[in-house]
Amino acid sequence: MSELEQLHQAVIDGEWKSAAAATQAAITAGVAPLTLVTESLVPAMDEVGRRFECEDYFVPEMLLSARAMKASMEILRPLLAASGSKPVGRVVIGTVKGDLHDIGKNLVSSMLEGGGFEVIDLGADVSPQRFVEAVTTNDANLVALSALLTVTMTAMKTTIEAFRTAGLREKVKIMVGGAPVTQQYADAIGADGYGESAAGAVALARKLVAA
Amino acid sequence: MLNQTAISSRDRLRTALDHREPDRIPLDLGSTGVTGIHVSCVAELRDHFGLAREPVKVHEPYQMLGQVEDDLRAAMGLDVTGVFPRKTMFGFPNTDWKEWNFRGLEVMVPADFRIETEASGDIFIYPEGDQTAAPSARMPMGSAFFDTIIRQPEIDEEKLDPADNLEEYGPISDDDLNHIERSVRAAGGSGYGVMATFGGTAFGDIALVPAPSLKNPKGIRDVTEWYISTRTRRGYIHGIFERQCEIGIRNLTRIHDRIGDAVDCVFLCGTDFGTQTSAFCSVSTFRELWFPYYKQINDWVHANTTWKCFKHSCGSVERFFESFIEAGFDIVNPVQCSAAGMEPAGLKQKYGSRLVFWGGGIDTQKTLPFGTPDEVREQVLRRCEIFAPGGGFVFNSIHNLQAGTPVANIIAMLDAVHQFNGVSHV
Repeated sequence: MSELEQLHQAVIDGEWKSAAAATQAAITAGVAPLTLVTESLVPAMDEVGRRFECEDYFVPEMLLSARAMKASMEILRPLLAASGSKPVGRVVIGTVKGDLHDIGKNLVSSMLEGGGFEVIDLGADVSPQRFVEAVTTNDANLVALSALLTVTMTAMKTTIEAFRTAGLREKVKIMVGGAPVTQQYADAIGADGYGESAAGAVALARKLVAA
Repeated sequence: MLNQTAISSRDRLRTALDHREPDRIPLDLGSTGVTGIHVSCVAELRDHFGLAREPVKVHEPYQMLGQVEDDLRAAMGLDVTGVFPRKTMFGFPNTDWKEWNFRGLEVMVPADFRIETEASGDIFIYPEGDQTAAPSARMPMGSAFFDTIIRQPEIDEEKLDPADNLEEYGPISDDDLNHIERSVRAAGGSGYGVMATFGGTAFGDIALVPAPSLKNPKGIRDVTEWYISTRTRRGYIHGIFERQCEIGIRNLTRIHDRIGDAVDCVFLCGTDFGTQTSAFCSVSTFRELWFPYYKQINDWVHANTTWKCFKHSCGSVERFFESFIEAGFDIVNPVQCSAAGMEPAGLKQKYGSRLVFWGGGIDTQKTLPFGTPDEVREQVLRRCEIFAPGGGFVFNSIHNLQAGTPVANIIAMLDAVHQFNGVSHV
């Protein structure tokens, strides 16, 4: 099995030590970092997402695969930056103000990173202003907002308004997701897209940055 | 107040729990930490009904649930009262109430409810009320309840010991037993159905894993690490659950020795197995990791008491219902009809004769907080039509009534249930 295949399998199996070892071995063997991303990590995370969608995988398996993918990316990230590789898109992600729940957001964050995006993860309880600042600082073209609570999901609207106020609304696409969020709500607050699941979020993100 | 009726609330509840159709649907709001009402809504409801204006007690500070006193219970036409543990989720007793201004609302909190508020407005609360310890939960500005702060010590795989995750589970104290006995006696004399929460039998409830009641939690306390452990450290998790189960049954035995069959149902476990669209684990994982312990607990309850066993799990959990039934659960809550595969008519048809649906009455993610009173009324009436026939239904919103829910919608919900029941306010 080649290093590329080993990395692919390690991510699917959620083996972070194997993923890191395969990544290191591939780099040593001269495989280009971007090749590892496009030929191992992206298809592996696509497969993880597919298994989640068909309920072969559940949250624990997703978390393990995300951990393995991140172990590989820790090695690859500086090499990708040094080589000037361009990501599929640059996304600022966070759970909105007032909401500390981040499992769903973390899964989406990992799926996006595994899908070839550069991810700026602001964590949980993120104010509208911090989202705006992060987009400006990082020149991001996509924003992903998460909320678990009905009480806090209204902060999604406030955040989108903050982008409008800052004159940045046309610069970025904004996608929303989380348990109480619906397509109807996304439309009502003027979001560009709604992701029902972590796996679906990647397809949505790709569509939004391509538009 | 509602019209007088021929049978008591308690008989009504018992009839419904026996899968027989009572004179009307029994109604619960406030009997547990998962069927309750946010303190701000309790205050508004008290105003709406013209009850004495007094600060509402926050009896469950983690979710900031307000106590439903007898006058409000009567005004709303409820049928169930709750018995709660002596201590809150933060490990301090629910006694010696003091006033607290909760972001403009005067409420009552226990004496050991000790907090610090940052300049940002974020509120930090301390385990056992001990401000020399690290805070165990935080309520960000913009939220209306606490979430646990993860305090995960470094994990050394070689030294992991299930005992580290068992510090919060021990033999029930005499103080706890005395409290339960007093509470059950008071509830039993009320004429309402009695739901009891004794604590200690929630296996891997993700709200409890970070141990908000402990000053220095050990073991696996990080939420992500816990979920991963259900896959990678099953021996460790079994070690915790086995011991927790033994302790739980011993404690239930001592409680039953004190109170006998004076409660109607017990809230045994609130571990969530469902997400909005999927589940946290497969049915086979559930059967390997949780089922044996649920069955031991429920078997003990059924062999020794008349209590009915209540299981709470949010989300898409229809796939687990056959296993819940086989494990001995009698009641499921909150029946989240908006989640995948939780279509109410299908649930009633397939499981209605074997599971009591305690919930499912109104969606609290969309319709109740954001819909119109007419939309609320329509959904409540439809759900009652589906779930009421043949009994096996206790009306409750799908989980707690959330902060910010318009009181007009809560009233529309209550009015619709009473309309369906054929009773009216006088």
